[in-house]
Amino acid sequence: MRLSITAIFSAALLLGAASSNPAGAAAGKDVFEAKGCGGCHYTEGPAREKTIDDQLAKKGPELWYAGSKFQKDWLGKWLADPKPIRPMKFNNLMQENTGGHPKLAGGDVAAVTDFLMGLTSTEVAAGKVKPKKNPKGRQIFTKKMPCSGCHQYLGRKKKLSGGRSGPSLVEAGLRLNPDWILAYLQKPKVFKPVKMMPVFAGLLSDKDMLNVARYVANFKPKKKK
Amino acid sequence: MKQPSMNERGLKEVLAIVVFTVLVALFSAAPAFASDPEKVFKFYCAQCHGLTGKGDGPNVTKDFPVSPRNFTNAKEMDKLSDADLKNVILDGGPSVSKSPMMPPWSKTLTAEQVDGLVKHLRGICKCKGKQG
Repeated sequence: MRLSITAIFSAALLLGAASSNPAGAAAGKDVFEAKGCGGCHYTEGPAREKTIDDQLAKKGPELWYAGSKFQKDWLGKWLADPKPIRPMKFNNLMQENTGGHPKLAGGDVAAVTDFLMGLTSTEVAAGKVKPKKNPKGRQIFTKKMPCSGCHQYLGRKKKLSGGRSGPSLVEAGLRLNPDWILAYLQKPKVFKPVKMMPVFAGLLSDKDMLNVARYVANFKPKKKK
Repeated sequence: MKQPSMNERGLKEVLAIVVFTVLVALFSAAPAFASDPEKVFKFYCAQCHGLTGKGDGPNVTKDFPVSPRNFTNAKEMDKLSDADLKNVILDGGPSVSKSPMMPPWSKTLTAEQVDGLVKHLRGICKCKGKQG
């Protein structure tokens, strides 16, 4: 009995792990196109931006590596009920981001989630980053190369801290794939060749970038005991 | 009174078009060159230093641990040489015993962009900085 439960559980896990659902992804692509999402988000890599003007011409983030960047559960929930991730509007330092991203409903949510989760980058190595408490990562994040200058996060006693020009990292551990965080730090030109964030590759060691990735990937609500 | 001939009128029209085209080209090209360092400043620096360089970018909340430099303060900016400005842009605040909240941009900006930024900052402060 125990064996069969284990087998069923393993099969379910395997099915869950296979994020691509070709039929759903194809339907999701149709929805994505029909709703005009491509007007703000491009979905075919590699990155196209070469100049500041290229970056400023974009109306929303590129999604060609969405399946490597996001966590599937989070993405589905966000598409159904999008809340602002950035305190300021995209490519804008003057206007607050008050939300208003279009919502998806019904079967469109799962279909578009499948489509986006199928958009992956081979530059993200799987299984490198385990989220965990990381004092060294925290020290870099808040002091040595203060990511906190531009990104919000929950500091001591859950106080909302940090700057507002970058995407918020509050609960980033639910939103982002830990391995993508590391790949993004190590290979900035692959994902965002022109961006407001400084390039840290070459300034931080690979080990320090791993520490930061572990620390940020651990930004999630504590499990209730 | 003698009326201009068709040839004279045609020549004047052609001249007017040429002058207009040259003026349009001059006025549209000049800001593109002049604004490039400004564009770099607004893209990278303004998030902390503000779009006009007063140190009031959107990252500067009441919890921000330091006050980003106000580039319009000529008295303070005059204490720094162009080489000081270049160093702090490239290697961050700690390179001049200032806060690490100013990150190093050496892996982000080109040498040309850094030189352009230094000139742009001098334009904002309307000061020449420490000489020698």
